[in-house]
Amino acid sequence: MILDWLLPVLLLSVLALALAGAVRRVSLWRAGQPSPVNIISGLMAMPRRYLVDLHHVVERDKYMSNTHVATAGGFVLSLVLILLVHLFGIESKLLAWALLASSVLMFVGATFVYKRRKNPPSRLSKGPWMRLPKSLLVFSATFFIITLPAAGILPEGFGGWVLALILAAGVVWGLGEMVFGMTWGGPMKHAFAGALHLAFHRRPERFGGGRSTGLKPVDLDAPVLGVQKPTDFKWNQLLGFDACVQCGKCEAMCPAFAAGQPLNPKKLIQDMVIGLAGGTDAKFAGSPYPGIELGNAKGGPDSTITEGLVNPDTLWSCTTCRACVEECPMMIEHVDAIVDMRRFLTLEKGNTPGKGAEVLDNLIATDNPNGFEPGSRMNWAADQNLKVMSEVKEADVLFWVSDGAFDMRSQRILRAFVKLLKAANVDFAVLGDEERDSGDVARRLGDDATFQSLAKRNVAVMNQYRFKRIVTTDPHAFHVLKNEYGDFGGHYEVLHHTTFINELVKEGRIQLGAHKGGTVTYHDPCYLGRYNGEYESPRELLAALGIQVAEMERSGFRSRCCGGGGGAPITDIPGERRIADMRMEDANATGAELVAVGCQQCTAMLEGVVEPRPEVKDIAELVADVLVESAEPASRKRDELAVEVA
Amino acid sequence: MQPELNIVALVSVGQHPKSGRARRAEQDARAVELGLRLSGEKVQVLHAGDVAEESLRSYAGMGLKQLRVLQQSAGADASLALGDYLSEHQPDIVLTGVRAESGESSGMTPYLLAEKLGWPLVTRIADIAKIENGEAEILQALPRGQRRAIKVRLPFVASVDNAAEAPRQSAYGPGRRAQLEPLPWVEAADEVRASFDEAPARKRPKRLKMVKAKTAAERFKAATAKSQGGGGRIMKDEPPREQAQAIFDLLLEEGVLR
Amino acid sequence: MSDIIRRDPRAEWIARNRLHPLHAEMAAPVAETRGPSGLIRKNPHAVGFIGPNGIKRIDRMGGNSAAVGMRRGAKSAQQVELPLHKVESPDFYVVAVVDMVGGRLTGHDKDVLGQAHKLIRGAEGNGAVMAVVFGEHKEEAFDKAGVDRLLHLTGSEFDGYCPEQKVANLVEIEKQYQPRYWLFPDSINGGNELGCRLAARLGERPATQAWQVDRETSVCRGSGGLQDITRATPRLLLLAEECADQIDETRHEVLAVELDTRPSIINRLQDCGQVAVDPNSVSLAEAEFILSAGNGIRDWEQFHKAAEVLGATEGASRVAVDDGYMPRFRQVGATGTWVTARVYVAVGISGAVQHMQGIGQCDKVVAVNTDAGCDMVKRADLSVIGDSQKVLEQLIELARDYRQGGAENAA
Repeated sequence: MILDWLLPVLLLSVLALALAGAVRRVSLWRAGQPSPVNIISGLMAMPRRYLVDLHHVVERDKYMSNTHVATAGGFVLSLVLILLVHLFGIESKLLAWALLASSVLMFVGATFVYKRRKNPPSRLSKGPWMRLPKSLLVFSATFFIITLPAAGILPEGFGGWVLALILAAGVVWGLGEMVFGMTWGGPMKHAFAGALHLAFHRRPERFGGGRSTGLKPVDLDAPVLGVQKPTDFKWNQLLGFDACVQCGKCEAMCPAFAAGQPLNPKKLIQDMVIGLAGGTDAKFAGSPYPGIELGNAKGGPDSTITEGLVNPDTLWSCTTCRACVEECPMMIEHVDAIVDMRRFLTLEKGNTPGKGAEVLDNLIATDNPNGFEPGSRMNWAADQNLKVMSEVKEADVLFWVSDGAFDMRSQRILRAFVKLLKAANVDFAVLGDEERDSGDVARRLGDDATFQSLAKRNVAVMNQYRFKRIVTTDPHAFHVLKNEYGDFGGHYEVLHHTTFINELVKEGRIQLGAHKGGTVTYHDPCYLGRYNGEYESPRELLAALGIQVAEMERSGFRSRCCGGGGGAPITDIPGERRIADMRMEDANATGAELVAVGCQQCTAMLEGVVEPRPEVKDIAELVADVLVESAEPASRKRDELAVEVA
Repeated sequence: MQPELNIVALVSVGQHPKSGRARRAEQDARAVELGLRLSGEKVQVLHAGDVAEESLRSYAGMGLKQLRVLQQSAGADASLALGDYLSEHQPDIVLTGVRAESGESSGMTPYLLAEKLGWPLVTRIADIAKIENGEAEILQALPRGQRRAIKVRLPFVASVDNAAEAPRQSAYGPGRRAQLEPLPWVEAADEVRASFDEAPARKRPKRLKMVKAKTAAERFKAATAKSQGGGGRIMKDEPPREQAQAIFDLLLEEGVLR
Repeated sequence: MSDIIRRDPRAEWIARNRLHPLHAEMAAPVAETRGPSGLIRKNPHAVGFIGPNGIKRIDRMGGNSAAVGMRRGAKSAQQVELPLHKVESPDFYVVAVVDMVGGRLTGHDKDVLGQAHKLIRGAEGNGAVMAVVFGEHKEEAFDKAGVDRLLHLTGSEFDGYCPEQKVANLVEIEKQYQPRYWLFPDSINGGNELGCRLAARLGERPATQAWQVDRETSVCRGSGGLQDITRATPRLLLLAEECADQIDETRHEVLAVELDTRPSIINRLQDCGQVAVDPNSVSLAEAEFILSAGNGIRDWEQFHKAAEVLGATEGASRVAVDDGYMPRFRQVGATGTWVTARVYVAVGISGAVQHMQGIGQCDKVVAVNTDAGCDMVKRADLSVIGDSQKVLEQLIELARDYRQGGAENAA
């Protein structure tokens, strides 16, 4: 019988080839920059990360989740048993039967994969991925039949040499795709790279229900700032790119892609893979970047990414909304990679598009993005009689005003919030002219030097004073203060104003009437929701106003960006539609007359949509509108006035 | 690009009009930009002052390998040092800004240099269109976006107007790495300037419209004259022809139709 | 308007004829009426009229000719002849080199002349203000602007751009007259350039952007306008606008003076004339006439055509840019470009706050809009409420007629 001696030989040689492939792949990753990881504990944690954290993401799609469990589970089990039964030749009926069962399981899974691939949605890549379900079927069927004699169901030598040849071909195909392809670079690469990616993830905090969204600081003394060529990425970032399964969930969620801007997160990650391995994108079988044809991108580990591989406009289209990262079943960090490459463009090339250069110059010269006089930061509050930290030195709450202080629309939000703080008798103070831009925009535009300078100075100012918590109405400042100032010695308890107001309401420190008006929907700001997991407080607050939120289809962690993040309105990359318009269509679909928002940037973007459209209001404004000012503080106010007059 | 040209761009320390913080000066940066476009990295950028000045890095960040600094203390007359250096090195073109953003801001530096070198001076240029056979074709910026063509033989001094092409973005990394080369230089104290009394700018009083009426009737008219503003003329129901005529008359009156 | 009082015989006749149907309109308000209680009331305001010298006169003719006189009277209040300021054999000169934009004294020039007199006033000796004018001019009111002596240098050598030629002549003036002060308007119309060139040539250290000058000290703007520099007043001054009050209470002699030697030099700067600038290539911030389009535009072809025919620089509102009808660098407003146009025509722009901020410095704003209540109409000096397409169509026609007419006139 041919197979008796051929099968172990095939198995052994495929394993050897796979090993060679693995060595090659690993060496590609190792060309990246060092990044310290704990190898042992990473590997130990890997199964749990796979079975729990990753599965948690995959499970959002029940069909695919079950299919994957069957296929992948069946495959892993089959492969182990194949080695035992057919390579080591352990003659055990039990093992053979187990192998039969696992290959049946895999076959069943594979048929579902096949069904899915019959009429695949556009987000899925085609090309070799269309071959995969067939490979899966061939692999499972072949080994099922080969194992039948071992299980004693069929006599040895059944079917003669014709069947033996067919089976041998099946073995070569199946093993080639499933084992050799796994390490050398076929569709199955995702299993190998993915497993290691989970083990050596750059943000291990994300596993086990944690959250890690702050960008990592740039070493400003490095010879090249940011990522110029693929090898400038950390090695585990390169590994992460290789883990991509091209499922296109990111593409389906990306607001820039939907708006026809030249960005497709999936394609971007695949371009990174081209970069790390060398080659062109001619074989890429998914949706291209809108407006950019396939086949022209070329790259290699040591060639500049933005010259030939990725158009800079692609990088600048990103709103850093993190929808892709949230959606990625492989937990790939798209935003990190994009900002890394932006850093090179800004810090090394001086090539920030649109008004980017102007905004950065203003931030450097005036600490605010629009070049206003730094001493006029408190003008909005001339009539508010706010306590300033430099005078009081100490307060319960530090109110971080943010650059909304310079914008007339945002000032309405600030005033509304101050009204609430006063009504609740909160002991709060502001930094006044000592406050600077949080650095959010500078950092997302890639200018980490300016970000770090702003952050250090802000931290130095705040560390002079004593306060328990920081509250801000700007989710971008909220995120930066909470998650990114830690690298510069600023560790604070930071709250978004919706969280804080919700607390006040729950404690009964402010009395509210009921909201009057039609249907209300709520838009989750990316930097509040996906970046910081705050979905509940705004909704609880709205409920406290007697509002039943008519949720948009894309809400919560799947909320669509307003288009205002990541400096996107500044770099202003043209697309076919505007993201804000699409978001307003989402709101219109709920029939809402009012869009409640918790972010001044979102307010500005959504109000920029041409009327007729629903009204846009910050939650602070909605709450302040129905605030019942109790008699007691009012009389006190009169006393104060009397004192002032006297 | 004319790599064989020897171009020197003079830069000073600018000042942001709102915050007063040191920065790269807008016009000087345009001079550097023009130099970069004319002769690439070969353009020589020169500053008279302190090599430790941080804002010089933002010029370097435009892609300069090095920046030469004639060491001068704060009270020295920079135009003398620059004049000495330039007459020693004899470049083909000297580019400066029109007016500095800090210090006296008199705008005299290009004039003094041209006088000292005995070279022609072209003021407020927007661009150098071409340089051929030792002659440059220059576009001079006139008010309201107008341009005048001027021909001048090399060498010359030119002051670069705000109408020139905006300077490229200054990148942090190259700016850090560029070499600031200090040249010890003789300095002459600016004694006239030492006698200046400098203070933050006061708000200038707006000139009031004085009414010098000769007769009671004129005085009465002046006192009861309707104040300006308070809404313009609104044409609502006139036919489009008349409306267009009204607009057209306004355009004629303002003299914007050429 | 002529000062000759003309009679209107018909009006006088109607005023006399109490039976004429128009009599009530022509006659003055009745000076005497019978009040409700039957008493005769006199209305003192109705008596008399303003005479030709602006003084009220009572006409004993019973007001019969009042209406006729009144119409002319107030207007022809006589021009008072200003006193003539004479300087005979001046001891020293203050020389003002004026810009003469378009051949006439600018407001800035007049400020400088005012400053010249301020420097003379109270000084010892007889000072005279000498204005230096290069090339042809159309100015008729040198006397009222305070020019005691006029040095008018003419000749083909002053045609076009010739700062070197002018400076050479100024150096001759320096030699011949040794002025006590040299004054220049610190303007972009040539004053600044000539002043600086002369200062460099004479080795004088000028005061620039000087805005408060007396014989001892000058206050100048420095540090790009952030600082005031107080210094001893030098001989050569470049004066800021509104540095001193203009002359308005005296007339001056405007005696012509001559320059004995006229230097001839070789111009190293060769003026090749003004370059035709496509209004659309002018940057928005600099443009003096902007035709700006907003959401209300339907026919973009027509809009571009209108801009072309009118010779206007195109602008746009944010929405028009977002919708892709106009490129981003055309956007006007706080988030786009801050413009300083003399005339800003906003077609179909209702005026968001950011947009209104961006046009804050425009002189004249014209709004074409369908909504009479929008913010742009409130800001505009002239608003046209109606269909922008029709208005633009008419405007294009008017501009075409005007251009053709102009061509015929030129031919």
